[in-house]
Amino acid sequence: MRKVIMGNHAASHAVRLARAQVIAAYPITPQTQIVEELSEMCASGQLAAKFLKVESEHSAMASIIAASSTGVRTFTATSSQGLALMHELLHWASGARLPLVMVNVNRALAAGWNIWTEQTDSLAQRDTGWCQLYVEDNQEVLDTVLQAYRVAEQIALPVMVCYDAFILSHTYEPVDIPDQDRVDAFLPVFSPTRLLDPLNPCSFSALVQPEHYMEMRYRIQQSMDEAIGVFRTAGEELHRHFGRRYGNLETVATDDAEVVLVTAASMTGPARLAVRKLRAEGVPIGLLKVRLFRPFPTAEVRAALAGKKKAIIVDRNISFGKGGIFADEIRAAMSNVDERPKIFGYVAGLGGRDITPAFLEAIAREALEKEDPPELEMKL
Amino acid sequence: MKQQRITFQNVDDLPNVVVSLGTMEWNHTGSWRYLRPRHENKVPACSNACPAGNDIEGFIRLIGENRFAEAWLKLKEENPLTRTCGRVCFHPCEAGCNRAHFDMPVSINALERFAGEHADRNLLAKTARPASGKQVAVIGSGPAGLTAAFYLARLGHGVTVFEAMAEPGGVLRYGIPAHRLPRAVLDDEIADIASMGVTFRCGVRLGSGGDLSYAELVGYDAVFVAIGAHESRRLGLPGEDAKGVMSGLHLLRLVAAGTRPRLGTRVAVIGGGNTACDAARVLLRLGTRVGLYYRRSRAEMPAFKDEIDEAIREGVELHELCAPVAISTNATGAVTAIRLIRMKLGEPDDSGRRQPHPIPGSELEVPVDTVVAAIGELADPGALPPGVEVTGDGSVRVDDLGRASVEAVFSGGDVTPGPRTVVDAIAAGKRAAVAVDLYLAGAEKAEAAKVMRVGLGGGISMSQYLERSLAHERYGDSEHVVTFDELNTAYFESQPRHRLKRLTVESRLSGFAEVNAGLTDREALVEAARCFHCGVCTECDNCYVFCPDVAVRPLGEGKGYEIDYDYCKGCGICVAECPRASMSLAGEEA
Repeated sequence: MRKVIMGNHAASHAVRLARAQVIAAYPITPQTQIVEELSEMCASGQLAAKFLKVESEHSAMASIIAASSTGVRTFTATSSQGLALMHELLHWASGARLPLVMVNVNRALAAGWNIWTEQTDSLAQRDTGWCQLYVEDNQEVLDTVLQAYRVAEQIALPVMVCYDAFILSHTYEPVDIPDQDRVDAFLPVFSPTRLLDPLNPCSFSALVQPEHYMEMRYRIQQSMDEAIGVFRTAGEELHRHFGRRYGNLETVATDDAEVVLVTAASMTGPARLAVRKLRAEGVPIGLLKVRLFRPFPTAEVRAALAGKKKAIIVDRNISFGKGGIFADEIRAAMSNVDERPKIFGYVAGLGGRDITPAFLEAIAREALEKEDPPELEMKL
Repeated sequence: MKQQRITFQNVDDLPNVVVSLGTMEWNHTGSWRYLRPRHENKVPACSNACPAGNDIEGFIRLIGENRFAEAWLKLKEENPLTRTCGRVCFHPCEAGCNRAHFDMPVSINALERFAGEHADRNLLAKTARPASGKQVAVIGSGPAGLTAAFYLARLGHGVTVFEAMAEPGGVLRYGIPAHRLPRAVLDDEIADIASMGVTFRCGVRLGSGGDLSYAELVGYDAVFVAIGAHESRRLGLPGEDAKGVMSGLHLLRLVAAGTRPRLGTRVAVIGGGNTACDAARVLLRLGTRVGLYYRRSRAEMPAFKDEIDEAIREGVELHELCAPVAISTNATGAVTAIRLIRMKLGEPDDSGRRQPHPIPGSELEVPVDTVVAAIGELADPGALPPGVEVTGDGSVRVDDLGRASVEAVFSGGDVTPGPRTVVDAIAAGKRAAVAVDLYLAGAEKAEAAKVMRVGLGGGISMSQYLERSLAHERYGDSEHVVTFDELNTAYFESQPRHRLKRLTVESRLSGFAEVNAGLTDREALVEAARCFHCGVCTECDNCYVFCPDVAVRPLGEGKGYEIDYDYCKGCGICVAECPRASMSLAGEEA
């Protein structure tokens, strides 16, 4: 059924269709509507889940960690400061190999107070052992949450689905909400291998000494490496079930391009327009949308950018003292490739500042003209 | 436990998750415990405040479960006059209700009336005990006498109630007007008691100058004297015996019996108690203009606040700080006016109320046709058994179980000292029924009195007396009364108290219809849901949900919980998260 809904409600519907069993969350703008809608679904009986009201995001994460340990499908959602408060437990979730799914609506961090979009909140959590995806529109929000459950349960690691505050969270777009039986066919019933069971009490997450700890970390890294392929397969299955294709990356007109604009999340929309316009003028430019950020699909990025002259990466985030985080990841991914492009990194759109097609076009033109990347990557 | 070294051949051999290979049940973490939690019901503040020791939490819970007739039966265990109390009780329970500190007290009184409207007399008979062969005479059929009769019958004794008036009910019938207690309701209440096998002999006045002397009461093993206080105090003023001066009790008795006395158009009521307010409101309904004259201020009036408020709303003119000095009469000896003097308040007297003093030269005269005096009631000394000790004001002296100074004679209600309210009379009747039962069985009273006690407020429980084991079902041995600060109010949400619906003043004054409306089923359910169930486990599962060690286990509906002390570490989270203080935490014995 196609309905015009906001991105947040697209997430709620996905969680309902995934038949989540325990939901714990603490309200924070711009996420609140996701769990508000879910609480109503629980109250009305549309969703047979236990909805836990908690006193903080830290407790929300602790609650779903505990719930997931008993072998149920869980959900939480947060944003910005809330995600920061969860930090300690994010490591716990991946270390305990729990297939949690969380939506993070990307919002700038304080101070100063800012509720608008920026990806620094989730990118600051990139080393917590969570998979991360950045999505472009409301349909992709719904589809990606379903994909997240499928992959998380297959690789026994948590997945974070990220999208931009207000630009997606509060904006209404037509979204196809699939029927339950179609989702059930795509997403099998969760059958965990190991359960926390009061009738057979075991000790969980106890002290691990140096002779084993590193091996456990190795296993996580191994699963992350596997996850790249698992996400790719799940994306193909999404296409088979619902007719919509999602790769780990998406390329637009890159085959014969000399220059590639690289974006993530909602700015990909305006980037499509900018690239189309430049192409119409005969500029040999293409577009690379990075959807999967963790695990980072290094091989796929290399394949897309090898042999190009320039890669123009626009980051709506910043690692202070370094620069845009996607640019840095791509720079690192291309470092051992002989035919690698010059990397032009631009930090833009922080704290919700608009990234328009005209703005992206201007960046692209600047990068096309200049021989070397600018020293200061921030584009005010 | 034998240590087992775990070795892995390679990385793939490692489990993904850090988890013990076997069960950890051998690890009795309960050995770390210093504090021991347990489920322990305690006394709710409402029951503690109720002179009759009603199981208020219990009947409200039954209403909440849609079990209305059972709620009535639960009330009936401790109070045979639930329909009556649901209307006329001054509800000290609501003053005690912990919810008052949260938003507003639970409307317990309205819920009690609601339960009474779902009475099912067939359920009642099942509660009687087998016959003892003993006979008890109950003198007086007011609330104390009716209560004693009901419980004595339940205890298996033969009971005969002697009533001086034509119909049973005492002050309930001849004192409290029908706009507060409809006669049909009272008749139902008495029919319940008669259905227990109680015999009523009406129109039989005991005592010297009565229809029957106490000596003629043969064949009775005990006597309970509950004749009330039906003699009015005299004003002690010139003109008091004039035509057109009467007592409040006399007026109420006449009207209750269907008489409509000639009163003229202007009536002065003297007094500030419930009789004065009842008389004033009845006079309005008889079509007169009513001035209520009280020598202190409104704040000192002993009448229930609601009665004063409603009297004024209906049109009674309250004149505070006015005391009568004389009644003026005309040549035929009829009242023409009342002379009053203005008062001012001085220092508090023994009762704690400020003492009124006349203001010299402030006398005034108010023309009236009738003066109704309601300044207090006394027992009729002639109606008492010969030889019983009385106090200074002629009340029967009794001990804490209602035993009078004469062998086999018990007494309670308004004829004995203490607060003169319906619920206090009910408590006295219940206490006396127990005392008579113990006397007839020759049993020791101290032990029984301990079993019956509800909290610290003096209320006693008949169910605890009847079934000693029930004591443990209700509040255990606890005398701990739950206070507001012991509750975990995070689990309660604000919800407005039910607003009592009343007739408009206009429709009230056209007759003697009941003023206050009852609750609908829905209103009752909403109001019942406001009860915190202080001190009594409702199986909300918080202890089970919060226990980090899964050491609290539900035993199934109605069976409560068990705590597995092998694993309970004594963290006390269960006790802290109990919304209603029905768990306790104590130091572990060394």
